[in-house]
Amino acid sequence: MLYEILLHTKCTYARAAAGRQLLRLMPADGPTGQRLIAGAIDVKPQPAERTDSYDFFGNRTTEVCFSGHNEEVEFTVRARVDRFGRPPSLDLSPGLDRLGSDIASVMSLEPLSPHHYVDASPLVRSSAEIADYARSITPSGATTIETVTAISQAIHRDMRYDGEATEVDTPLEEAFAKRRGVCQDFSHIMIACLREIGVPAGYVSGFLRTEPPKGKPRLQGSDAMHAWVQAWCGLEAGWVEFDPTNNMLTGLDHIVAAHGRDYSDVAPVRGVMRTSGGQEIAQSVDVLPLG
Amino acid sequence: MAGAPGLKAIRTDDIAASYRPLAGVADELKTADGSIRPVWRPFLDYLARLPADELAQRFARGDSYLRDAGVYFRQYGQRGSIDRAWPLSHIPVLLHEDEWSQIASGLSQRADLLELVAADLYGPGNLAANGFLPAAAIAGSAEWLRPMVGTQPASGHFLHFVAFDIGRGPSGEWWVLEDRVQAPSGAGFALENRVATARVFSDYYAEAHVPRVAGFFRKFRESLGGIRGADDNGIAILSPGPMNDTYYEHAYLARYLGLALLEGEDLAVEKGRVVVRSISGTRPLSVLWRRLDSNFADPLELDGASKLGTAGLLGAVRAGNISMVNALGTGVLEEKALFAFFPGICRHLLGTSLEMPNVATWWCGGDAERDYVKANAAGMVLRPAMSVRGGARQAVAASDLSARNGRHFVGQESVTLSTTPAWENGALVPRPLSLRVFLARTAEGWIAMPGGFARIGHTNDPKAVAMQSGGSVADVWVVCNAPVKADTMLPLKSTPYVRPRPGTLPSRAADNLFWLGRYVERAEGTMRLLRAYFIRLAETGDAESPLQAEVREYIEDLGVDPDEAVPEALRDIISAALGSAAKVRDRFSVDGWMALNDLAESAAKIAHTSSVGDDSARAMSVLLRKITGFSGLMHDNMYRFTGWRFLTIGRALERALAMTSLLAHMTREDAADGSLDFVVEVGDSTLSHRRRYAVRTARPTVVDLLGLDAMNPRSIMYQLGEIRDQIGLLPGAHAAGEMSDLSRAVLRVHTDVAVRTPDDFSAEALLECYEGIAGLSELITEAYLK
Repeated sequence: MLYEILLHTKCTYARAAAGRQLLRLMPADGPTGQRLIAGAIDVKPQPAERTDSYDFFGNRTTEVCFSGHNEEVEFTVRARVDRFGRPPSLDLSPGLDRLGSDIASVMSLEPLSPHHYVDASPLVRSSAEIADYARSITPSGATTIETVTAISQAIHRDMRYDGEATEVDTPLEEAFAKRRGVCQDFSHIMIACLREIGVPAGYVSGFLRTEPPKGKPRLQGSDAMHAWVQAWCGLEAGWVEFDPTNNMLTGLDHIVAAHGRDYSDVAPVRGVMRTSGGQEIAQSVDVLPLG
Repeated sequence: MAGAPGLKAIRTDDIAASYRPLAGVADELKTADGSIRPVWRPFLDYLARLPADELAQRFARGDSYLRDAGVYFRQYGQRGSIDRAWPLSHIPVLLHEDEWSQIASGLSQRADLLELVAADLYGPGNLAANGFLPAAAIAGSAEWLRPMVGTQPASGHFLHFVAFDIGRGPSGEWWVLEDRVQAPSGAGFALENRVATARVFSDYYAEAHVPRVAGFFRKFRESLGGIRGADDNGIAILSPGPMNDTYYEHAYLARYLGLALLEGEDLAVEKGRVVVRSISGTRPLSVLWRRLDSNFADPLELDGASKLGTAGLLGAVRAGNISMVNALGTGVLEEKALFAFFPGICRHLLGTSLEMPNVATWWCGGDAERDYVKANAAGMVLRPAMSVRGGARQAVAASDLSARNGRHFVGQESVTLSTTPAWENGALVPRPLSLRVFLARTAEGWIAMPGGFARIGHTNDPKAVAMQSGGSVADVWVVCNAPVKADTMLPLKSTPYVRPRPGTLPSRAADNLFWLGRYVERAEGTMRLLRAYFIRLAETGDAESPLQAEVREYIEDLGVDPDEAVPEALRDIISAALGSAAKVRDRFSVDGWMALNDLAESAAKIAHTSSVGDDSARAMSVLLRKITGFSGLMHDNMYRFTGWRFLTIGRALERALAMTSLLAHMTREDAADGSLDFVVEVGDSTLSHRRRYAVRTARPTVVDLLGLDAMNPRSIMYQLGEIRDQIGLLPGAHAAGEMSDLSRAVLRVHTDVAVRTPDDFSAEALLECYEGIAGLSELITEAYLK
């Protein structure tokens, strides 16, 4: 499936701001099921410095530095992406009880190694509440993929989608206590649950097709950048992506931007701006299938 | 060397006989059979000859040196932190040069090994791929920085300055207890240990064949210059700031080595280069000796909540434009999990065994190792295998170790440390000891600082050595057979003298000096006001007379409560001065720092004991003498570098503002009787007035003397002249033959006052002048201090 993606992000500052920002906005080129055909990030005003690079996890980064005073900074991404499905595969994942030895047998610090995703990360730490919850929703005697699917379903069932309940920096514990939040909260809670029961899990940022195919419902989170979860399901099955907000395996409607351990690794705009007032970020996303 | 030989022998043996090491524990002074080790014998003979009271005097001499030098150590307790006197144990630890060279050789090997491990963890990752290190132990460490993977250090090396804590086991061999590579502290304290201990035993030390530690610093300083390479850019120490427990040392080393002391806020990144934000624009840096933990270094890519770092620093490191001592991310080498694997890695990478073993360690992430630790838990200590961000990992009992939590823990063999003599209650007693050994990379390889730093437990429990829990610190003397050469910080060969370039003044330092000047002057002005008020109160007992009521109101408008003997607001101003001074300690003489501390302490003390009236008037006089002492130090003794100019401008600005305000209020037509005399007294100009005018005070004479007289250092005119002169000497005062906005504004205010006569310098004109001077402060901030 070919897509045209148009993303527009505008940061507005109450007081003039200068500083440095790190962007992870571009759709990913690979690793599987996705190809970036063309893409460009346009920055207004013209930054004093700009460096395009890749981070540890292979995500594309754009670092920009503004020296003058700005009240508004705009980033516009235009990209064409080919998203192609893998054929539905058999469940090759081991039982949850055997996943640990699969993990231990991986002798690697490469970005896709499951070892990066088993312990606490900056925004996902273990807590007693999450641990109890995770155990209560883990089926017994299931394969890893069955387990992850069950957990995704349980979170979708127990959490209410609510754009007003949380902010971008609300800790997952607070969202969990409220049982409300957006895709970021759903994903962090699911990652915390999975790590709690020994499944390596990470955070995926990306885009959703704006208008659903005929006869299908519109998905939650298509009006801005979306987030979902990747879980490592053993040596054979590898990484599998789940969208707990929409209670589904990711498919042709999901376009990946970046992978990481949690939101802090993939934040679309991470910035250190010197400003004495507040700031607002507005985002619009259009993901249009071509032909 | 007087005294009968027989007597000497008896007394040495007396000392030795009462010194009883613990059974089963190695001791530095005595062998297992109770005889004195040869390396200690001459020192013990010397000690035995000293009468007890002389020894006490000598110890006091060392302590007072440390106190006068301002050496302190910040201790963290449950209720904040306190600054504690440096806990020096006066008896040095003595080691023979042969033993020392073995220690140095073993630790150099370890430093080489750590360098290779760092290069692999931030390079190809072969150690994990080939099973020499478990990937889980590295990936789980908060100190392994993913953004640094694939980055080659600009200097060619990850490690340049490292330290190791080592201890001696029961059978006499040394073990590595801790690797310290993130930001090892203590080297500066080692210098002070040496100076203090050498003072205590000055007559003995000179002849004791003990190499100096200064030479180590000279070579390290040279090697920092070597890292910088051909460019002429700066070398600086990067500190987390005054709240850090070893900030004293950062400031000390900066002064000692002649390096700039910077904080993250001083730095910026421009086009991939690290620069200092200074009062004369940005200046490039090439080398940072980092005393800041890596995770705080760059909020853009690491801990986003860090206020201590510099956005974009990692990018500059990746671009190869800045060398870090040590490289960002080397903290991962300190993880205890690695201890379990160093023996194997050493054989694999260096083809040989560790010359000095580290404490036997088992990583509980492996099934067999975990079972072993559980089975042998009695002789082990469980410790976190890796660091976590945001708090420590909860401890578990060995019996609770499982496949799930095992990777977070290591089991370490319990360590029994050797003991060394400490002097307590008139006798030598054995206390457990660990050495901290510092190594620096030079062009010729690693060199070790010869001694200097040992930590001593405060009880005889050979498992407890920690300064935070009341231990102390001792000097370490490496004793050579032959006399040693004196070595200093000065370059060895006689090279032609080159006057060094003046350093750049970071904007933050300039800002603190400017405000230090303002606060000190504000404190002094407040004291003068209060004293004049208190004296009148004591004389008349009347707080309600028109003059007193007016003065009260004036004082209250300044936010000061005249019903307190030493008002809290005054003490707050002094604290603010101290706070500014604390941030620029490296630019400050020790005497100045001590004088300011003394002032703050006296103010707090007097506040408790004085009452309002005659008593508080006297208290103000005491404090005034102290603060003018401080000002005298600053203005007579400080080198006229740019920082001093900011201090001076701050002081002059504050004084001009205060006098303008006082004149505007107290010389009005309707001012109470006695107001003019009051102003002259606060302006410390009673004598000058009498001499110059020989008449009673009248508005014209007072405004002339305190407003317009360019010869009176208390006048507005004089201070404006000072401000104008100093600003004219700042960089950028004249650009391309034109005056800067600031210079123009200063001239305007100065001229406005210069052309006045006492009669037309009305209250309104004075208030206008006040606004003009206040505007200068903003222009200075805009031009230099941001």
